[in-house]
Amino acid sequence: MNQLLYQTSWWVPVYGLAGAVLTLPWSIGLVRRTGPRPAAYINILMTVLALIHTGFVLWAVWDHPPERLLIPWLSLPGFDLWLTFVTSRTSVGAAFVITALSLLAQVFALGYLEKDWALARFYALMGFFEGAMTGIALSDSLFLSYALLEMLTLSTYLLVGFWYAQPLVVSAARDAFLTKRVGDLLLLMGVVTLSTIAGSLDFTHLDLWAATVQLSPTVAGFLGIALLAGPTGKCAQFPLNLWLDEAMEGPNPASILRNSVVVACGAYVLIRLEPILALSPLALNVLMILGGMTAIGASLVAIAQIDIKRALSHSTSAYLGLVFLAVGTQQEEIALMLLLTHGIAKALLFMSVGSVILTTSTQDLTEMGGLGSRMPATITAYMVGAAASIGLLPLGCFWAMLEWAQGVWATMPWLIGILLLVNGLTGFNLVRMFGLVFGGQPKPKTRRAPEVIWLMALPMVTLTIVTLLLPLMLYQWRGLPDWSQVNPLTIGLLLGSGLVGCGAGVFFYLNPKVEKPVSLVGKSIRETLAYDFCIDRLYKISVVLGVVQGARFTAWFDRYVVDGFVNLVGVASIFSGESLKYTISGQSRNYLLTLFVGVILALMMLGWFYWSWYF
Amino acid sequence: MLSILVWAPILGAILIGCLPQTLVAQRGRQISLIIASLLLAYSLYLASQFDLMNPGLQFSESLPWIDSLGLTYQLGVDGLSLPLVVINSLLTWLAILSSDPRINRPRLYYVLLLVLGSAVAGAFLSQNLLLFFLFYEVELIPLYLIIAIWGGARRGYAATKFLIYTAVSGVLILSAFFGLSLLSGFSSFDYGVLQSHTLPLTTQLILLSTLLVGFGIKIPIVPLHTWLPDAHVEAPTPASVLLAGVLLKLGTYGLLRFGLGLFPEAWKACSSVLAAIAVLSVLYGSFAAIAQTDMKKIVAYSSVGHMGYILLAAAAGTSLSLLGAIAQMISHGLISALLFLGVGVVYAKTGTRDINVLRGLLSPERGLPVIGSLMIVGAMASAGIPGMMGFIAEFIVYRSSFEVFPIQTLLCMIGTGLTAVYFLIMINRVFFGRLPDHLANLPPVRWMDRIPAVIVTMLIIFFGIQPSWMMRWSEKTAVMIATERLGRELTPLVAVEPDRVAMDLPLSQPPVALKAPFVPAASLPASLPVLRLNDLKNDVQSD
Repeated sequence: MNQLLYQTSWWVPVYGLAGAVLTLPWSIGLVRRTGPRPAAYINILMTVLALIHTGFVLWAVWDHPPERLLIPWLSLPGFDLWLTFVTSRTSVGAAFVITALSLLAQVFALGYLEKDWALARFYALMGFFEGAMTGIALSDSLFLSYALLEMLTLSTYLLVGFWYAQPLVVSAARDAFLTKRVGDLLLLMGVVTLSTIAGSLDFTHLDLWAATVQLSPTVAGFLGIALLAGPTGKCAQFPLNLWLDEAMEGPNPASILRNSVVVACGAYVLIRLEPILALSPLALNVLMILGGMTAIGASLVAIAQIDIKRALSHSTSAYLGLVFLAVGTQQEEIALMLLLTHGIAKALLFMSVGSVILTTSTQDLTEMGGLGSRMPATITAYMVGAAASIGLLPLGCFWAMLEWAQGVWATMPWLIGILLLVNGLTGFNLVRMFGLVFGGQPKPKTRRAPEVIWLMALPMVTLTIVTLLLPLMLYQWRGLPDWSQVNPLTIGLLLGSGLVGCGAGVFFYLNPKVEKPVSLVGKSIRETLAYDFCIDRLYKISVVLGVVQGARFTAWFDRYVVDGFVNLVGVASIFSGESLKYTISGQSRNYLLTLFVGVILALMMLGWFYWSWYF
Repeated sequence: MLSILVWAPILGAILIGCLPQTLVAQRGRQISLIIASLLLAYSLYLASQFDLMNPGLQFSESLPWIDSLGLTYQLGVDGLSLPLVVINSLLTWLAILSSDPRINRPRLYYVLLLVLGSAVAGAFLSQNLLLFFLFYEVELIPLYLIIAIWGGARRGYAATKFLIYTAVSGVLILSAFFGLSLLSGFSSFDYGVLQSHTLPLTTQLILLSTLLVGFGIKIPIVPLHTWLPDAHVEAPTPASVLLAGVLLKLGTYGLLRFGLGLFPEAWKACSSVLAAIAVLSVLYGSFAAIAQTDMKKIVAYSSVGHMGYILLAAAAGTSLSLLGAIAQMISHGLISALLFLGVGVVYAKTGTRDINVLRGLLSPERGLPVIGSLMIVGAMASAGIPGMMGFIAEFIVYRSSFEVFPIQTLLCMIGTGLTAVYFLIMINRVFFGRLPDHLANLPPVRWMDRIPAVIVTMLIIFFGIQPSWMMRWSEKTAVMIATERLGRELTPLVAVEPDRVAMDLPLSQPPVALKAPFVPAASLPASLPVLRLNDLKNDVQSD
């Protein structure tokens, strides 16, 4: 039985992909009579199957060592590509979390996109999304992971561009694709290099290879940075962070997955690559600098956002920055735990925010208020999600952050400063959003705000309960730190930072005496933060400028120099032919004269040659 | 019987030519479609009979023709030409399928398409240099006429440019062939005979560079490319499909078959120059594509870029890279065919290809949603997204060329990123956005318009998921060219000894750890040692 389960573990990604393919008759308009709903049902059914299957595999693999499954794919002279899967507690667990969240998001989408005409297309893309992510979770091959990351890039593009008739959506989809593509391209360079010098692309082999290999620092550094670039793009880390913020133009159910598990997929691959990154101290330093900058920068930027989804998405970047720091300090377990706890909490927050958006038809925080008493399930979900995101109450992220702090305490204590800053700022931001959305007086758009329908409420409540139970589960799995090891000072600092952040939030945003809108800092700082430190301008004067000017110059060169030369030759030959035409007079004496002169010249030349040779 | 591939379309063309005008006007398309279908079926049958284990020529035919000239009628097919022959039959069939049923002067049109298919097949099959040249020149006439008669507004300019460029290319190729035949003293143009020449390296280099310019015009490589965008823009859709899909491959095929095959020492000597040209082509084509506003020009410049990958892999000249070059030929043939088919439908329905005018064509009811989706697939395949055949072909090209030309390969990879840029610009402008009023009353797209593109898309995805079906025809030939002609060792597979053995063990047991220690890549980056996976295929297959 167990063997059968291991051998069929590669089906898990196939369910999602099959669901995507099966929706084709509806998404391309072959079947119109039934409406798009059957496509959604098929996909949900497929996800349920995937969930059950993953559940069984997880049960089977729980107390066993990891198993590898090799599927020969392409065998060429001197080069073999295998699709390698690994069934370990971690990988199957990750696949389980992904399918579960995907199921919840899909049910949620039934309600959220109830009246959307392109429901079938949405579900096709969600199936694609889910298949690619579970594939990454189970993959034990860098080649396969790279391929699936690229497929995630494609499906992100299509999901962000779902409502493609809106101009903002179009540019957001483009930016999402190109930013991720920059990262993927560098990753591809790393993959090709690694395949050549390591000979294998399986993570298992790469780990062993990295343990014994001696690389020159330059090669190791370049390799590490190239490999790092892919996850940097996927996890929306500086300088490839802008897309996640813009991607919030897409439909909310996809944002649930994007902010919880899609970004986690990038980090997951990064964790698998850590042994190779560790070959180069430079790469690890770059990793930590990027992570640290993003963690602090994105936390600050989040506070300045007035778009409800963007405010949350920046905090996703910040948490992934913490994950980067954990990987940089070589603590993969903690990175995984943070990914799990953050993913679940963020998914819950996005569900709650989605309910708010659907009810109020706006994403602008300044137009909201007073929803607290009207939407009980939503406010509960928000409060639980927010509490589980920060280190204040003993819910998910508190424990992950505690472990994180414990981990770096021994090696780089100053890093705890970043953690505390992120914790405090996130706490402040979440309370700020809570105050603006649920507190205060109702505004025009929130006056008639019923609770959402059961299709959205059910997944939201389910996830609320799961989030509340997560610490218990972690305790069961011995994921919680041992009390005897815990440093009371770290707990104190963590709680303190959370308390200060939330307290400040409560003071400014839940206090009716403070006038709204609250202005904490000067206009210039606020705008810098609101526009993400103007990072789009950085793109504009670097990569975009280079590409645009290169393209313009090449096109100019092509048109006027290369083609111009060709046309010049053509025109010159035509022109000389045309002008010679006018020497034709039609009078026989002219022809005779020409003939005569020609013969004389020829004879003279002949004579000259003859005489010069003779003498 | 390879002659069938050459002469059956000619017979078909004669048949169509003899039919009464009214019948051709009504049934010309069906008749030529039947002929093309039979040819496609026959080339698939040939592929099924092809012996995968034999690297040399198969189904050879030989008839004496003009002995005094050294011209014999010699045909044969090997792993290098077989995929291209099949692609030619397929794309000829698709070109006829995608032709406008109410086209002007149908008789001449279908005759020319069939002659074109026959000439291209003949060029891929000939094993005599003069015979190749004859077919190479014959192919020029129908395409010139197709562009000059059924082309767009500037068809005269484009067709003449195409004619002059290709004629020059033919002259250069012929002079190189003559030079080789005269200097080697064989007084024969038999490919097999000429391979055994013993010319000094300098002579070889001169002849090879003549061939390089000749075939370089056809590929095209920068800066010999300017005929291509013009020809594509003015050519009708089926001609564009054939031009990008097969005719450009004549150039790379010629370089591999005659350049590399006849002058291996010179090829090795100037391979770094070839790689540099490849980088130039890739980057130049990609950058130029970004600045274009005509959809066909974007695809045409993207062809310039993507053909550069083939040159890079050919320059690297390992067995894997030659295989990658062949795979990239197939994949570019299908992907560019898909893109041109899509652009053709857009142009037929909207009357423009300007990306500044078009907008929102993905609109579900009044736009072209299916064609738009297929174009997105084509663009993504071209940009190397996994799951489609472009990815695996390019991956093999990169992976294999990296061993020989690391820097050049990395530069070429930037081209992949730029591909995403220009196709994304095209998709975002043309298909995304709101459908403007001036495009709101488009004629409906019938399924006949979509079927060619749907077929190509399915092939692209199929080969992307199952690439061994695309590669296996050429494996032995590629290995033979690399080992025998270029003298490259098929790198002995270093015993990495991975736990492939685990496949033999019951899966319940824990995976076997590495038994033998890794051979560390000791001297990096000087020699970039290659550890390869064992030939454990057999282990697995016996499992």
